[in-house]
Amino acid sequence: MKCTFCEHELTPEMLREKGCGSCIGGCRKIHCPYCGQENPVVSELLEKFIKSDKHISKKGNSA
Amino acid sequence: MQKQAQTEKKIILVGNPNVGKSVVFNTMTGSYTTVSNYPGTSVEVSRGQCLIAGENYQVLDTPGMYSMLPITEEERVARRILLEESPHIVVHVIDARNLERMLPMTLQLIEAGLPVVLLINIMDEAERIGMQIDIPLLQEKLQIPVVGGAIGRAKRGLWELRDAIRDFSGNKATFLYATDLEKDVQEISSLMEGDYILNKRSLVLMLLQRDEEIAQRVQDREGDRYESVENAVNDTVFDRRVDLHLRISLERKRICKGLLDGVITQQENNQPAFAERFSDWTMNPWTGIPLLLIVLYLGLYQFVGGFGAGTIVDFLEGSIFEEYLNPWVIGLCNQYIPWYWLNELLVGEYGLFTLGVRYAVAIILPIVGTFFIAFAVIEDSGYFPRLAMLVDRVFKKIGLNGRAVIPMVLGFGCDTMATVVTRTLESTRERVIATLLLALAIPCSAQMGVILGLLSGVPGSLLVWMVSMVGVFLLVGLLAAQVVPGERPMFYMEIPPMRLPQFQNVMIKTLTRMQWYFMEIFPLFMIASVLLWAGKLSGALQWLVEAFNPVMQVLGLPNEASAAFIFGFFRRDFGAAGLYDLQTQGLLDPVQLTVAAVTLTLFVPCVAQFLVMQKERGWRTALAIFFIVTGMAFAVGWSLNKFLLLTGLLA
Repeated sequence: MKCTFCEHELTPEMLREKGCGSCIGGCRKIHCPYCGQENPVVSELLEKFIKSDKHISKKGNSA
Repeated sequence: MQKQAQTEKKIILVGNPNVGKSVVFNTMTGSYTTVSNYPGTSVEVSRGQCLIAGENYQVLDTPGMYSMLPITEEERVARRILLEESPHIVVHVIDARNLERMLPMTLQLIEAGLPVVLLINIMDEAERIGMQIDIPLLQEKLQIPVVGGAIGRAKRGLWELRDAIRDFSGNKATFLYATDLEKDVQEISSLMEGDYILNKRSLVLMLLQRDEEIAQRVQDREGDRYESVENAVNDTVFDRRVDLHLRISLERKRICKGLLDGVITQQENNQPAFAERFSDWTMNPWTGIPLLLIVLYLGLYQFVGGFGAGTIVDFLEGSIFEEYLNPWVIGLCNQYIPWYWLNELLVGEYGLFTLGVRYAVAIILPIVGTFFIAFAVIEDSGYFPRLAMLVDRVFKKIGLNGRAVIPMVLGFGCDTMATVVTRTLESTRERVIATLLLALAIPCSAQMGVILGLLSGVPGSLLVWMVSMVGVFLLVGLLAAQVVPGERPMFYMEIPPMRLPQFQNVMIKTLTRMQWYFMEIFPLFMIASVLLWAGKLSGALQWLVEAFNPVMQVLGLPNEASAAFIFGFFRRDFGAAGLYDLQTQGLLDPVQLTVAAVTLTLFVPCVAQFLVMQKERGWRTALAIFFIVTGMAFAVGWSLNKFLLLTGLLA
């Protein structure tokens, strides 16, 4: 994942960092350590959907 | 095995993330590799073996790093490996397509005295977009081995890299900065007598940029002598009175520009040439401001204001809720719930369904949804860093710089989260000014969407609102810049390439943000409804509305507008939705609508933003901002009402 402002790479370690705790239902954002931009973290459900979508389109292509 | 590893020569691979370091590592080492956490950290480092000209080497794949001055844990580990592992060769892997952005780190590695071999990777992609790189010329200028390659399936450049490692005979190059900077570096390094792996010149440059880890290492090596080194560094930083990090970065950029002169050839009539030209237009004030106005007109006015706040809200609120859902739910409650208080709580004037759900789903959600789509399209195109460069000059006049574009732009999404982001600004002065401007003159997406939707139907009203907002933003910023003491840091950033937004990226960002926003606002809207309901039943709300009535009269607004202002303190968008109700009930004429919209936009930050302001800036600053903003909002509203009535502008 890349920062949407400065395009620095955001690593899985940064994604695992805990947020400030003030958001209801947990943190869904990641602050870029280079520029401060707040990047949305893709939810697990959406990520699963994207992955399954890619999987289906790959299968479709190979067929 | 451990002993053997210690005697082996080490090849360390370094470079930005996503330049193909791991592919190079796997190609060089084959399948016999180990991955372990670097001691004392959770950062993984891969180690493997490779045989070059009969000699065994240990190869280390380091985490991505952008500079020798680390910001993240990964970068700190990568640098620690360079400092502690005594490399025989450091292979700096860079992306051929981003040579200009990545070459400054090569300079840092060379000036650190490390045995650098430069691998320009992903050459195939660079050639595909029309780039030609003169590798021998760059090698001659850098005076280190330079290899061009595409270490993927074709393994292009792999044998040249192995030869360069085998034949490496040392790094002799020195690239000099400006005379005054070199003199400072020379003076400080002459005070250092310890033994270091890195060049003293490089260490001094890092000390001047306030690198705490390097300061600690120098202190350990110098012992009693460190005090004189520290004093010399402090004196230099004080004497120069400039941001030395920026100064050194600019010097490095200047040297890289010279080094790349004649090295890169870009084929004419190629697609990137237009992208580059367009990128320049967005940053030039003469072309950048008209382009910004086009972005605002299409993105905010037409898409968010017209389509989101107009078409979709009319459909959801006017048709679905008013014609179908509300009558059905109200009917059900009236039929089955005999208790007045519970009926009121669910479907009354401030009921959970009739106010909370309706505002959150039918009014706010379509507006923030369309705003997030527009925001994601602009974001994915790479426009925001260019906007930062464009407004840098204006922002300097109001005590900020281009870096403040991030919180300001985020403020149009939600002022509360933008206030948290102000902590990324360099000085306290900037943070206070940005917090004040966010609380005062930056409407959040939902508030702005509702206001755009309401005012776009009244000729001239939207223009008056926009002029008022920009005028107040600049006036208060200019005054704050004079009054608030503190440093004035400079702004410098690498501009990433401009590109066409990708549909999938836009949708992912939009859905993710909408999910976040909905999870945030829905419970708050429910809580606000319950509080208003409790206020109504207890009589407290009526008392509050009556207390506000004289203020409404001074502003020339009907008494009913009090409720929208009270809503606004719960959430800005809640207040805007209240305004929407007043307008649809036909209670406001054009002048009143404009005055109410301006006052409500400037009016006090919502509860959540106030709490974040207190958390970030402390009680004193938060309360001062609260009173300034409240006073300013009513003063501007009163003046605007008098002005509009006197001139008959919107009559």
